[in-house]
Amino acid sequence: MLVDLAGGWNPLVGRLAWSQIPYDNPILAPLFVAVVLGALMLLGLITYYGKWTYLWREWLTTVDHKKLGIMYIIIGLVMLFRGFIDGLMIRTQQAWAVGSQSSGVFGALHGYLTPFHFGQIYSAHGLIMILLAATPLLVGFMNIIVPIQIGARDMAYPYLNALGLWLTAAAGALIMISLFIGDFAHNGWFGYAPIFELQYSPGVGVDYWMWTLQLVALGTTLGGINILSTIIKMRAPGMTWGRLPIFVWASLSANVIALTSFPALQVALALVAADRYLGAHFFTAGLGGNLMLYTNLFWIWGHPEVYFVILPAFGMMSEIFPTFSEKPLFGYVTMVLASIAIAGVSWLVWLHHFFTMGAGPYVNSAFSVATMLVGIPTGVKVFNWAFTMYRGRLTFNAAMLWAIGALFLLLIGGLTGMMLAIPAINYMVHNSVFVVAHFHSMLMVIVYAIFASVIYWFPKVFGFKLDEFWAKTMFWLFSAGTALVFVPMYMLGFMGMTRRLDYVFNTAWQPYLLVMELGIVVYMFSVFAFFALLYVSIRDHAKNRVGADAWGTSRSLEWITHSPVPFYNFAVVPQINARDEAAWRRENGLEHIQPDHYDDIHMPNNTGVAIILGGLSFTLGFALTWRIWWLCLLSLIAIIALVIYRSFKGDPGYILTAAELEKMEQEAIRRASRIDGGHHLRPVRGDGWAQERADLPAAGTLYGLSSPMDHHK
Amino acid sequence: MQVKWRHSLKSGWRYIALAPILLLDGCAGNPYWIFNPKGLMADSDLFYLMVDVAVMGVIVGLTALLVVWFMWRYQKGKNRGAYDPSWSHSNAIEVVVWGIPIIAVGVLSWFAVKGTFEINPYNPTVITKHMKPDDDPVEVDVIATDWQWLFVYPQYHMAVANELVLPARTPVFFRLTSTAVTTTFFIPQLVGMIDVMPGMRTKNALESSHMGSYQGIASDYAGAGTSWMTFKTNILSATDYSQWVRKVQRSPVSMSYAGFNRYADPYINVHHKVVYFSSVQDGLFDHVIDEVMNGKTWPIPPMMTENMVGYLQQQDAEHRD
Repeated sequence: MLVDLAGGWNPLVGRLAWSQIPYDNPILAPLFVAVVLGALMLLGLITYYGKWTYLWREWLTTVDHKKLGIMYIIIGLVMLFRGFIDGLMIRTQQAWAVGSQSSGVFGALHGYLTPFHFGQIYSAHGLIMILLAATPLLVGFMNIIVPIQIGARDMAYPYLNALGLWLTAAAGALIMISLFIGDFAHNGWFGYAPIFELQYSPGVGVDYWMWTLQLVALGTTLGGINILSTIIKMRAPGMTWGRLPIFVWASLSANVIALTSFPALQVALALVAADRYLGAHFFTAGLGGNLMLYTNLFWIWGHPEVYFVILPAFGMMSEIFPTFSEKPLFGYVTMVLASIAIAGVSWLVWLHHFFTMGAGPYVNSAFSVATMLVGIPTGVKVFNWAFTMYRGRLTFNAAMLWAIGALFLLLIGGLTGMMLAIPAINYMVHNSVFVVAHFHSMLMVIVYAIFASVIYWFPKVFGFKLDEFWAKTMFWLFSAGTALVFVPMYMLGFMGMTRRLDYVFNTAWQPYLLVMELGIVVYMFSVFAFFALLYVSIRDHAKNRVGADAWGTSRSLEWITHSPVPFYNFAVVPQINARDEAAWRRENGLEHIQPDHYDDIHMPNNTGVAIILGGLSFTLGFALTWRIWWLCLLSLIAIIALVIYRSFKGDPGYILTAAELEKMEQEAIRRASRIDGGHHLRPVRGDGWAQERADLPAAGTLYGLSSPMDHHK
Repeated sequence: MQVKWRHSLKSGWRYIALAPILLLDGCAGNPYWIFNPKGLMADSDLFYLMVDVAVMGVIVGLTALLVVWFMWRYQKGKNRGAYDPSWSHSNAIEVVVWGIPIIAVGVLSWFAVKGTFEINPYNPTVITKHMKPDDDPVEVDVIATDWQWLFVYPQYHMAVANELVLPARTPVFFRLTSTAVTTTFFIPQLVGMIDVMPGMRTKNALESSHMGSYQGIASDYAGAGTSWMTFKTNILSATDYSQWVRKVQRSPVSMSYAGFNRYADPYINVHHKVVYFSSVQDGLFDHVIDEVMNGKTWPIPPMMTENMVGYLQQQDAEHRD
């Protein structure tokens, strides 16, 4: 042992002990029983219906980017729910523990959570919402949509893609298990120096936090490499940079950020590990350590991460507004430039997370102005969405409502963000609930964009639409919850209420806290509405089946292939003629065209290596957390051996023959023509799918500002 | 000791501007501490807040109206506005959509830089510019521990735990540090936040314009006792202030370096206990920084935060002062 540890340690189980299982905790113990029963029931059902082989073959070992994307989204939604429950607990504690007269239960002086437990909950809430809900949800969408939008059959590296997913899953599992074995970090999702040092956080909580972050960072970096390579190398013929769908541009700029910023986080966390495991002094207050170095390193990743999650959300909105405005996106080139500008500036603003550190006025001024620069491209985006609606034909279905909600939240988040960017204002509201309300406004932009996208792209992936009534009900409930929680939170910020209070000393704040509690209850109803949405939609799926172009006004390439998308995406790689290929084909009467012949295609094989590596990484993370050295060594050796073994073996892939392909395609076409009685969708064979159509008007380029539609009204 | 003063009418213009928000609370005092500053630093913060909200509010408000108008005008099937399926570019609009944010950011940047220098915690010109040579500023050394505030008055060789008392209309200069972990010093109605960090020294300053009692907060999470790490800031008249100083100086309790080490052990101040130290060993502030830089820590007992009631019973049993 290089460091002094509080509590016991033995070579076999490290710091693990029965006392680490909170069986006496009145909140966690029943939850633990429920989770175990639920898991047993799930496993029993899978066994009863004999679905293990199906699960293993079709999902757990898959390298299909769509299935991986769906699993990313499932992880994201599960963690979103966990994070929501954390939020509910935070709100309840703050509504209850107000004033010295408020009651306390379960060992808490006020409310029902001890300070230490409250700290763990908001830390887990933050980490989960940003890195295990928003990030997997967005990575999931990029995974599903980007290859189809650029006309690729899969990602550039299908096995790496699966590895990224299973590393993220391992991170999710690690943070979930911290509920029942040991505890979690209590010092915020971004960690503080030196409170995360052993003297001030002697338990395993910080270790859980650190290894969870490491795993998710590694998974996301690998995913970023994959998406970048896919966009750069796998585009269909004719998919020039100027014709790239806007969501792909957003994904490209976001993943440039991911690839370049996540390593900074990993280095920072490795140094924290050195402090906690080796007794180093990188971030201690004394002995040469520099605690603000950690804060700098963290936010050098942390701020770009913010734009890593917001840029894909902007991309989603830029896809949805044109579809339901029945018009091309206004100012495509401007939008692309704005995305790249946001990605670029994201590197220059990290210090605004700690203006109050006490830096000199020159430093603070520079970062203040840099931060405000972000407002320029973001403002341009808002205006461009507005002008996309201008002269359009707007349909306010559920996807559009969520997108418009995101736009309004962005306006609020932008207004308050410009306030926080000015140090003179920041000094007053930094670390107050005003900041919390601000970044929730921004993260809600992402959540709204995600739900818009769930509704928008669901029919493409599953072949049927979600129920409009429940989708809209959920939207209105969710929006009411947002207003009830965050309007009072902004007001409390101006009242001087600071964040992370497990006991609220000022009783004047209680009415507002109670309104927020009501808001979180309304949010709860929107969660129920979401479950109802899934139930009703799946029940009525036969009624809501759709063809290739699910919305009838879709614009980008993914809408020309079948819904649901076959595992090979496109039977024949299409020739791209225009920026909005689906709209261009519709305008030119080519929407029903099918390839005139099929060729053999080469597809990647499934692999079990990725999920095994994920399991081993989880084991490594768990063993490191509990300092079970033999298990660390064992799992590390196994990981290295397996990676080497897989790299020598490689994957030759397999051939899907033209005959098999044609059979599947005929089936898909028949199914599509049944949907609307067969008279609307008549497959036409001929040129146009994979050949350039020189006879038809050409499309816009990166430098040509005009839309492809301009030439042929 | 608490002196209650009616809100000055001098800041009436502010109430007019903030009327929509203030109306929500009627006349029963103003709970919006940020909109109700009582000192030069906080005044200045509010000024920049108003400028920023005015500029951005106009832009954001008009944009929101524009979006709502487009939503109404171009709804499908209502035929209110002409549909143009190919319209997606206009040089004039592009110039406007880039121009408005660029101009707004340009204007606000000028204010941002100006404000940053005006209330620079190390040399706030909003205070120092108006200081006369015969002004006698008060110096306070702030030492944050887990989880109490110690305010050392080096000019009087005395200290007070968990209560800050200052004379009105007098510049006050703080030096701040911490023993164990990082937190933030914040008095919403008087001065904005500044981090206090172990082994480091930050500075800040304030000058109050009104007498009264104002809430001080540890505004950054520092561990289990953060929520109780609050302090009252009492701004007194010159006479009341000298009386208060004499009162502190009559306290039987004093603080040496060794005494400080015991005082700085983790302590959750649930009873808001205020302690006066009539004398303090000179150079305590620098001594604490030196100690921390040489590796001194005040570790937290692992189990202390797991059971709050149990811990507090133990804390009370020890009769710590």
